[in-house]
Amino acid sequence: MSALSTFLTRLADNIDVINRKIGHAIAWLALTMAIITFTVATLRYGFSVGWVWLQETYVWMHGTIIMVAMAYTLLVGGHVRVDIFYRSASVRYRAAVDFFGTLFFLLPSLYVIAKYTIPYVLLSWERFEVSQEVGGLPGLFLFKSTMIAFFSLLTLQAVAILIRSGQGFFTLNYAREAGETFEGDGGG
Amino acid sequence: MDSAHVLSMVMLLAVCGAMLAGFQVAFTLAGVGVLFALVGQSMGVFDMLFFNALPSRFFGVMTNELLVAVPLFVFMGVMLEKSKIAEELLTTMGQCFGALRGGIGISVTFVGMLLAATTGIVGATVVTMGLLSLPTMLRAKYDPKLACGTICAAGTLGQIIPPSVVLVLLGDVLAGMYSEAQMSIGNFLFDPFSVIDLFAGAIIPGLLLVGLYLIWQITVAVFRPAASPAYFDVDVGRSHLLQQVVKVLLPPLFLIIAVLGSILGGLATPTEAASFGAVGAMLLAAFRRTLNWAILGEVVRSTTRISCMVFGILIGASIFSLTFRGLGGDEVVEGFLLNLPGGSITALVFVMILIFLLGFILEFIEIVFIVVPIIAPALLKTDIDPVWLGVMIGINLQTSFMTPPFGWSLFYIRGVAPEAIKTADIYRGVIPFVILQLIALCIVAYFPALATWLPDYLFG
Repeated sequence: MSALSTFLTRLADNIDVINRKIGHAIAWLALTMAIITFTVATLRYGFSVGWVWLQETYVWMHGTIIMVAMAYTLLVGGHVRVDIFYRSASVRYRAAVDFFGTLFFLLPSLYVIAKYTIPYVLLSWERFEVSQEVGGLPGLFLFKSTMIAFFSLLTLQAVAILIRSGQGFFTLNYAREAGETFEGDGGG
Repeated sequence: MDSAHVLSMVMLLAVCGAMLAGFQVAFTLAGVGVLFALVGQSMGVFDMLFFNALPSRFFGVMTNELLVAVPLFVFMGVMLEKSKIAEELLTTMGQCFGALRGGIGISVTFVGMLLAATTGIVGATVVTMGLLSLPTMLRAKYDPKLACGTICAAGTLGQIIPPSVVLVLLGDVLAGMYSEAQMSIGNFLFDPFSVIDLFAGAIIPGLLLVGLYLIWQITVAVFRPAASPAYFDVDVGRSHLLQQVVKVLLPPLFLIIAVLGSILGGLATPTEAASFGAVGAMLLAAFRRTLNWAILGEVVRSTTRISCMVFGILIGASIFSLTFRGLGGDEVVEGFLLNLPGGSITALVFVMILIFLLGFILEFIEIVFIVVPIIAPALLKTDIDPVWLGVMIGINLQTSFMTPPFGWSLFYIRGVAPEAIKTADIYRGVIPFVILQLIALCIVAYFPALATWLPDYLFG
């Protein structure tokens, strides 16, 4: 294996590690979100009290999960495909679909998303924007910044996929998804 | 049709082709949306200014309170599964009814209804039930055709029976389009429509399906006793069984009824009820001492992955629709549907057939985010009731998912069935259920009140 190829493999491995760690950490927000939503509902119906900021907390947690863990989901093969042909296709076909799909669909989309969301987020930072709701949370500019995490982390993962599918096309050593063995998503 | 309209139709074909190639649906949608925007711009028929709406679309998805219900329902379902509550539910039901002819088939139908009600994604339910109950049914000398058909059909019930995740998504999409459509035809006094209406509307048709399934199981047990024999599990004593029922069956049953009841009773929003479900499932697991950090970790990671999958498609579809609507594609579809001979009924039949066929290649979530936004605005401008439309789409897709040779549910059961069962047997086994589905679809089509009566009664 050439030095370049080794370097690229190491790069892809490192990207995988980053997104997996981030995904595993952010996933715990799902538990927190369930408990906070439960608390909000109980307080409202049980004791007739409610705070807007507490309600915003669980909504924002949900927003954060989808923005930040999207790349993790890509890593572990969580995004669905129409796999009528893909399922039984050759390794080379699958590597090619992933390579060109990432190059022509995913990366241009990420570029456009970045182009239009960066000014939007910067504007929010300039004003240190807070929630529009009375009694809402401060730090809306931070929440909006998760959009930056969205396209940055996905771009990283896209690079890792380009490397693995590009190599896989020639070495024929290409797992369906680069990430961990699918833990069986069961339920849900 | 001008060149923008032509381009929008080319775009539809392109997205179909690209998805069939097998690249992830979410990114294919986004990519085709972006590429056609650039092509449109270079032809001078599309203005990139439309994309200024992109960040606020993102923000809208990130702050949609109703959609928080999705991960919470998923959390509940995954928790019930990973903590083995679902498994024991099925075993206990089997032991209760097993001694009757046709009993296991009946209990699989019931459990499908209960379990599915908490998860709402076909694959998972079919696989779980296939792994758990198919071996038992075969050991009990059930006809393999009947066994596979029963599991396929019961596993798809979750789409239509609330609180199903896909109904939340479908309801949210239809609600937005319904108010837009009504206002665009100058009707500002329409009854508002929400997810809760769709939940209420789906209950009677859902129970109708369960009823038809049960009648079929009983008919088989009476006329072909050899196909679904009684089965005694010798290890289980009667008093022990009663204990099991109280311990295993009642808690999850109570949880599901509490979640559904609090939504329909107007006590809680779907999101709040979903949080009761999630926390309740966690407490059930804790009482059974199957809750630990490892399981909790698996549950939160599964929940995260499934949510990101769903919202990835939502985001991709919203980028696609920015371009599609910017090119005027929605006008082409509307012009076509509303000018069919025979008016709204022909349009509805056409749409139903289209959705049925698309159900072979797309999952429910994709249909909700891709197909429904394209076809429903036109239908909702006619006199078609959104609750009825939603329920019809639900039953229709559920039928599509079990129709040979492409139904999703058939692939899943093939994956877990032993080699000895031929694929042709699975197809033959599921056909009676497909016919039952079509009967139900016709009944609901002729009597829309089955869908619309309960929401009207509950919420006026």
